[in-house]
Amino acid sequence: MSRTPIDPRIHDALDGGLARDALSPEARRAVERLEQAARLLAAPPAGSLEARVMAAIRRPAPSRLERLVRWLRTPRAVTLRFRPVWSLAAAVAAAAAIVATSGEEPPAFGEHEGIAQFVARFPGARSVHVVGSFNDWRAGTIPLDDPDHDGVWRAAVVLPVGTYEYMFLVDGERWVPDHLAERLVADDFGRENSVVIVRPVRR
Amino acid sequence: MRLAALLLLAAAPLAAQSVRSRLEGRVPAAAVPAVDSLVRTAAGEGLPTEPLVQKALEGGAKGVPAPRIVAAVQLNLSELRAARELLVRAGDVPPVTAGEVTTVAWALRRGLPEPVVERVVAALPRPPRAAALHAVADLVAHRFDPDSSADLIIAAIRQGVREERLLDVSTAAVHEVQRGRTRPEALAAVRRRLPDVPPAPKPARGTVARARRPAPPPPP
Repeated sequence: MSRTPIDPRIHDALDGGLARDALSPEARRAVERLEQAARLLAAPPAGSLEARVMAAIRRPAPSRLERLVRWLRTPRAVTLRFRPVWSLAAAVAAAAAIVATSGEEPPAFGEHEGIAQFVARFPGARSVHVVGSFNDWRAGTIPLDDPDHDGVWRAAVVLPVGTYEYMFLVDGERWVPDHLAERLVADDFGRENSVVIVRPVRR
Repeated sequence: MRLAALLLLAAAPLAAQSVRSRLEGRVPAAAVPAVDSLVRTAAGEGLPTEPLVQKALEGGAKGVPAPRIVAAVQLNLSELRAARELLVRAGDVPPVTAGEVTTVAWALRRGLPEPVVERVVAALPRPPRAAALHAVADLVAHRFDPDSSADLIIAAIRQGVREERLLDVSTAAVHEVQRGRTRPEALAAVRRRLPDVPPAPKPARGTVARARRPAPPPPP
């Protein structure tokens, strides 16, 4: 590698011992380039560690919200360690809580009580009630429901154990026997009552 | 015995009074005195009165004219008398319980021949007999022979099957027919398996959770 020697007049000009006007135009441009290079070298590098640290110190502290957003956005490694027995216990507790809170509290049954289920299909009916010897043939005390409006009406009724005659009362005016009932008996008024036998729930 | 009769006589007016209040407003006014009189007669004879009251209330709810209500209550009274006579004939010692009279009346209304009812009653010397009689009536309603049906239920009683479980016996026979057996084959198949018959399924959890008691009647 060979070095090109610098003109001694350029040295003198850089040292201030020779006026620039005394130089040739080419030597003057060389002096200006060398001075520009010296200024760049004198300036501290923009991306240095010191500069970044000092810039961070001088920057105003981020707000709580900014810190929270930054914490939320920052990916983190999580190590999960669990004991199967506690996990199972937690699952059982969660299931029990779901069962306990789903629906209303079921009624407590007496020793001599059972459930009578009534299901009937009455498409287009506005109301269906079951009326019989369990409610003194009084309409309005045991309504059937059709929550999904498919024409199938249902009720599950807690009754004392025993045998009962009944009919459905549709729209408050039409008496209809339960065609799904296994037992029918003449009602002495020209029609047939359905018969339900209520068995104890607690067997 | 005398004390029981005295108590019965003393209680009858009170019972009749409460019956009248139950009927008024729910049964045509023209029917109330006649029904009330029939109920008093039943109470005086030591017969159950509640089936008569229920028949009158049923007629009132269904909008039946007064004369037909009275006729129906009268018919029910005669059925109760016939039921009590049958019980005594079958060996029950008077006074027979109101529950048993009602049960036998039910069985006769469901079409069981009197001799069949007598056989079942005699096979079960102590109440309750409702389940046994309903089990036979269920079989007869499914066109099983009445005598053969009674034979099966009496056999189940002798094998120790009691109360509601007797209904499972008749259900098992009906299921055998649904599987393709003839009725005599079905009865024989169930009889061979006694006392083991499948129990009726318990209500589903959802049904139990959904079950509600009837709402109280509205104030008069």
